[in-house]
Amino acid sequence: MSNLAIVGIGEVPTALLPERTHWDIIYDTCVEAVRDSGIGKDDIQGVISVTPVAQPVIEGELAFGLLPERLGLKGVRDCAMVNAGGASTSNALRLAEQWLGAGVADSVLIHQVTIHSTMPPAKQIDTFARAGIDLQWEYPYGTTYNIIMALLAARYMHESGARPEEMASVVTALRSWAEHDPHSIFYGKQAPSVERVLESDLLATPLHKRESNILADGGAALVVVSTERARQLAGPAAYKLGESSRYFGGTCLEREFSVMSEGWRVTAEEAIARAGIVHDDIDLWNVYLAYPLAHPAMAESLGVAPPGQGARYFAEGRMSFGGDIAWSTIGDAPGRGHTGSGVGTACYVETARQLMGRAGKRQVEGCRFAYQNTAGGSGFNNIATIWGKEARGGPRKQA
Amino acid sequence: MVLESKPEVDFGTAKPLPEVQPWTQAFWDGTRQGKLLVQVCQTCQARIFAPRKLCPQCWSSDLGWMESTGRGAIFAFTTAYSMVDPRFSDDLPFTIAYVDLDEGIRMMSRIVECDPAELAIGTKVEVLFHPREEFRLPYFRPQRGATGRG
Repeated sequence: MSNLAIVGIGEVPTALLPERTHWDIIYDTCVEAVRDSGIGKDDIQGVISVTPVAQPVIEGELAFGLLPERLGLKGVRDCAMVNAGGASTSNALRLAEQWLGAGVADSVLIHQVTIHSTMPPAKQIDTFARAGIDLQWEYPYGTTYNIIMALLAARYMHESGARPEEMASVVTALRSWAEHDPHSIFYGKQAPSVERVLESDLLATPLHKRESNILADGGAALVVVSTERARQLAGPAAYKLGESSRYFGGTCLEREFSVMSEGWRVTAEEAIARAGIVHDDIDLWNVYLAYPLAHPAMAESLGVAPPGQGARYFAEGRMSFGGDIAWSTIGDAPGRGHTGSGVGTACYVETARQLMGRAGKRQVEGCRFAYQNTAGGSGFNNIATIWGKEARGGPRKQA
Repeated sequence: MVLESKPEVDFGTAKPLPEVQPWTQAFWDGTRQGKLLVQVCQTCQARIFAPRKLCPQCWSSDLGWMESTGRGAIFAFTTAYSMVDPRFSDDLPFTIAYVDLDEGIRMMSRIVECDPAELAIGTKVEVLFHPREEFRLPYFRPQRGATGRG
């Protein structure tokens, strides 16, 4: 059984703001999360940084322990950095849970920061052309992330019969949530219609430009404590209830699509069972896949849509803002803006925000249980977690 | 992923070369002789791609090679039109596919010498070797004389 709860969150809006430095974001997100937790700054005992992708200077500063000193966190007993690509935040939470259980720390600050806007475009291309792509068997052919996602989508469309308009509707759905998300790069901007998605440039069949995502700057932070301690604190919390993971493979071409979809299915099933709930208890499916075209297959694996009907569900607006299925309520990376490994952190913040009842217009009514997944690299794994408004065994004490 | 500005840094024009490991050298040596080799475990007979130092099935280090017929079928393909590494811009548009060889292994490769609009999942393809510096990269084209799709 898990013994972890998120009791504080902090986040800056995702944007392209080159004048905003890494440390500017770190100060804002971490201070907000600690204040939100109700725990004094000098009572934070652990700090874990989620490794930013291709940000070597800040990565070095954080990996070698600069954050507690800069923020004046006098009670910190240890700090560390975790890297598993997009799955880093899930692993940071695991490490925090271990620290809490072993007595290393009784409260842990987890954070992520990424700035793409000051990164030379050539460096961005180079990074995302090679990360998660095999340098001997894939990269020399000109493969990119867009291309491997296009291959996945092409095969899915072949097997399911999903039409381009249905696939494009995933963007419309994800962006409909972003439209109402103050932390999104698309906040206040009308979600594009299916027609607008399909009239955008074709990047790699069947992937259009508006079916990709925009690299942006952002950051988020979480304060976590044990379940018992969370119950004693005054504010709302999100409790980790269950977890499951599967490894699929580090090379795209060796990753059988059927193994991935089965892994998505079984990790959800196991995590839900370990949480002591059933499938129908899930109020929010907070899915992180980075690209929209993978969402229909995930919806089918999670049992949210029948086999072969995932894209149709999106086309019917069921996963959109106002639909009957609460799905990726920050719109995943296509809705939030892609902050590398930070999208996973942002998803956990959103899961906590929903369970705390603080999601504003996007609030899922009566949200008690949320599914939250992450995946690393180009999809080498899937980590499924279940979070609840209350800990197993009863409600927390109210102040 | 989409970039909102054009690259400012010169990548050079040389396309990347495969980063060869000692146990994959024989594969690339084979391509220079016009052979597409598939690694085979001599202990459990597993056919292996990508080539390994040890058999991923049984961990035997007794590994050999068999020559592929060079024929297979497309499992999935995409034609890229933009947003690629600038070193591949002169190839645009180009088609990348997962190809299932008749010997039972899957490779990533390029599909060439055809109109991408005529390709489909299941299209039968055959290997040819494309020069890049000292390498010969296995590319594929639709099988000559093949009828129908796999």
